[in-house]
Amino acid sequence: MTHTRQDTFDVAVIGAGMAGMAAALFAAERGLSCIQIGNGGGILFASGLLDLMSIHPLAERRKWGFPFDALAALALEQPQHPLARIDATSVRTAFNAFVAALGKAGLPYAPLGKANSDVLTSIGTIKPTYGVPRSMIAGVKALAQRPPCLFVDFHGLREFSARQIVSTLGDSWPAARFQRLQFPGTEAVPELYAAHLARALENVETRARTIDLVKPLLGDAQAIGFPALLGLEHSVEVHAAFEAGLGLPVFEIPTMPTSVPGLRLLMALEAAVATRGVSRRHHSTVDSIVFDDETATIGLIDSPGGERVVARTVVLATGRFMGRGLVADRGHVSESIIGLPVHQPTSRNEWHQRDFLDPTGHAINRAGLLIDDSWRPLDAAGNPAWPHLFAVGSILAHQDWMRSKCGSGLAIATAWAAVRQITRQLYGDCDKAGEP
Amino acid sequence: MTPALFRIALYGSLAICLLGLLWRVSTWFHLRVGPDACNVTVFQRLITAVRGAVSVTFSRGLVHVLRAFFVDVVFQNRLFAREKLRWLGHQLILTGFTGLVLVHALASVLAGKLSPGYQPTLDPYMFLRNLAGVMVFVGIAMVFAGRRRQQTGFPQSRRPIDAIFVALLGTILVSGFLLEAHKIASPRAFYRMTDQFIGTTDPEELKPLRALWASEFGVAFDDMGDGIEPAVIAEGRELHGDACASCHAKPTSAFISYTAAKVLAPLSGALDEARADTWLLYLHLFACFIGLALLPFSRFFHAVADPVSLLVNGAAREREFSSAGRASRRALALDACVHCGLCDSSCSVGPLARHLGNPALLPSHKIVATGAHARRRLLSHGIGPDALLVSEGAFQCTDCGRCTTRCPVGLDLADLWEAGRGDLAIAGLPAPSQWVQARSAFAWAESLDSRSTPDAPSAPLASDRRTFSHCVQCQTCTNVCPVVAHSIDTEHGVDLTPQKVMNLLRLGMLDLTLGSRMVWDCATCYQCQENCPEGVRVTDVMCELRGLAYHRLGSVRNPGGPS
Repeated sequence: MTHTRQDTFDVAVIGAGMAGMAAALFAAERGLSCIQIGNGGGILFASGLLDLMSIHPLAERRKWGFPFDALAALALEQPQHPLARIDATSVRTAFNAFVAALGKAGLPYAPLGKANSDVLTSIGTIKPTYGVPRSMIAGVKALAQRPPCLFVDFHGLREFSARQIVSTLGDSWPAARFQRLQFPGTEAVPELYAAHLARALENVETRARTIDLVKPLLGDAQAIGFPALLGLEHSVEVHAAFEAGLGLPVFEIPTMPTSVPGLRLLMALEAAVATRGVSRRHHSTVDSIVFDDETATIGLIDSPGGERVVARTVVLATGRFMGRGLVADRGHVSESIIGLPVHQPTSRNEWHQRDFLDPTGHAINRAGLLIDDSWRPLDAAGNPAWPHLFAVGSILAHQDWMRSKCGSGLAIATAWAAVRQITRQLYGDCDKAGEP
Repeated sequence: MTPALFRIALYGSLAICLLGLLWRVSTWFHLRVGPDACNVTVFQRLITAVRGAVSVTFSRGLVHVLRAFFVDVVFQNRLFAREKLRWLGHQLILTGFTGLVLVHALASVLAGKLSPGYQPTLDPYMFLRNLAGVMVFVGIAMVFAGRRRQQTGFPQSRRPIDAIFVALLGTILVSGFLLEAHKIASPRAFYRMTDQFIGTTDPEELKPLRALWASEFGVAFDDMGDGIEPAVIAEGRELHGDACASCHAKPTSAFISYTAAKVLAPLSGALDEARADTWLLYLHLFACFIGLALLPFSRFFHAVADPVSLLVNGAAREREFSSAGRASRRALALDACVHCGLCDSSCSVGPLARHLGNPALLPSHKIVATGAHARRRLLSHGIGPDALLVSEGAFQCTDCGRCTTRCPVGLDLADLWEAGRGDLAIAGLPAPSQWVQARSAFAWAESLDSRSTPDAPSAPLASDRRTFSHCVQCQTCTNVCPVVAHSIDTEHGVDLTPQKVMNLLRLGMLDLTLGSRMVWDCATCYQCQENCPEGVRVTDVMCELRGLAYHRLGSVRNPGGPS
């Protein structure tokens, strides 16, 4: 049985990673009717920290305290980089809109300024990032001032070690100490998982018992670091309860992916697009796309009964290899849905550097789709493949987001720019919602 | 038939019927279904029933019982709400049969006493008798037609005695109609009556009466000749008025028998020769007596058990039963089941029953097995293939409760299934999840080492490496798993997390997963599969592993059993 939807959507977003979610969110906020296809599981690998840009150029491993300065330098030196195509004001607007939507969905972030913040990782190293969840912001301050601080972890929680953090910090933070606690009710469980503890802490009684376990250990501590598991759906409430119960600033430290902050981010983004009226097909995969002059018809599989979605524009946010937007065989990288040409090294020999840890990264990691100034992927002749097909996020060529630490920035800013372009194309210079 | 023989047959069959009823009713108080039924004595169950009956009779509960009587028992409201055609058929049988029993069979004690002028050959009795007979016939046909319509893919659970009983019912109806038809057409019966009431059997002398009875009462004289003058008939009518009319209406109102009499007319002489009236009467009466004697032992005992069950439901309403009350109610349910099969056609696992080829999954078959086990017949020769099929049926039930909702006699089937599973577990046939978890996953894997089970079902997902090729061991499945979250210790909690099960499969160590508690405790909530960023069908794999384990570990546990 094939069911054909009669509605024609303004936008069909293919992909539900960070870029797909951002595109769906921005499209809905601009009043476009939007359908999103794809599984959001990729976001589970996120740390909750929203990187904009902190390392450029890669060869020098130069760290930037001010991401917009880094972007300005990038625009001069690598004009083909997708982030070099967007002006700073737009990037800032996109980030603010994204973070505001997360805040409304129960996942507040610290106000965005001009500078990157240094955040402790789960192994005690320091990572600069731009958007910091409010539950982690006390850690940024503590890391800057290094007062007496208590780091807590739990027996059986293998993904997080407070001892390792303190040991890595060593002399750089002499007043840091750690304590390993028995999480209430888990005495006989050999292995614990952060997501389950996060859910357990949403129970008021378990939360109170945990706070009571920490209280006698405070000593001279002026801040307390926990693995990021202080609540899941109600993390604001749980975090506030810990700060109130302990009478000190409490901060979370991101755990190894897949982590609780990743799960929170996924839940918040799903809620954000759902409340803005985005139709979702998150169990479906795209089988085919047929373009005609005005619309694209997208065939879905794994959708109950099969379905075809008709949309006036398509945003390809299928990601790179992990998201399977790009697939590689022994010698060639191809785009998985439409078969668009992929910018890539001419032969496999050039995919990788000799040194695996080469700071400049590998050519294969800069493979992807080439686009025009309107975010439309190009065909083999260098022209836009279709006037109503757009591409955003990590599938774009000429960027190595992992090494530049610009993953969220790439996703959010390119989605914002492409959706602005789509709105102009469909409804003229103004937003459909009437905003300039 | 001599009065003595009649009495012996009547009282004999009545005695068997009553003793049978007593025995069947006694099983309501001594058959044990469910582990909790073993904790109460027969005496406690009797006392509970009597006390319950008394307390309801003298309380406002009586209103509900009366309501249940009229709405559920008399009107058959539950059946009416579910199957209109079968309800109509059932009501036709019930009304027709009751009519026949009251007006016809018990004529000498009821109609004869209540209405002084009663004669079976007068109207409306003649008409009503035919009407009631037709109602029963049509009703049976409708009930059978209703049954044919709902095919479950399996023959319905039936016992030989039920077929015999239906045959007896048919015999009673057919022989009754034939007997009446024959008596209408029989010249011999005519002369017996004239001998008794006019005092002559001389054909010439009775010519006017014969003329009238031949033309208007259907008697098939073979020596009447043609062309009877109206004057002769008028003369016969006068004689008829004096001697016959007070007892005989025109038999045309016996619309079935009269039609049959016309068909049989050419044979009436031969039938008279063969003394058909005598043996048809014997056939009719003996079929009645045998039917009466068999009633308590056949499915038609539901005519007694159902009203009791419905009245008990009416009395109990939403109240909780004590364990003594529950025990009796379950035993009563075994008798009250009509085996109508409505439950089967709504059973959630019906498709699974067809897939497995095991009718023991279906409620109407399960209730027979539950009764057999309660009567110690299921495992009388130990755990055989049949018992394993019954156990499979019992534990595949999802407790969705649709059978209970749908049952036209309001049986609490869900309670019966739970009790039955308890009994099976005690008898050495626990749920697969229980017997699998009695050993560790390692112990099972070791016992599987030396065994090959060629007839085990294929595991297309678990044996295809593409199923796991995208797994990055990211732990999302474990993070979202409620079973892992509620695991309180290693003794009773999960041994392997979903992610570890997937990893073992990736490593080709499938045997080690089969007895794992994760596989068997999986709630099939599909959280893992829904959240897997790589689209691995984690839950589907778990289900497949369970199916495989049920067969492979089952062949270790019950060598030679069906697998």
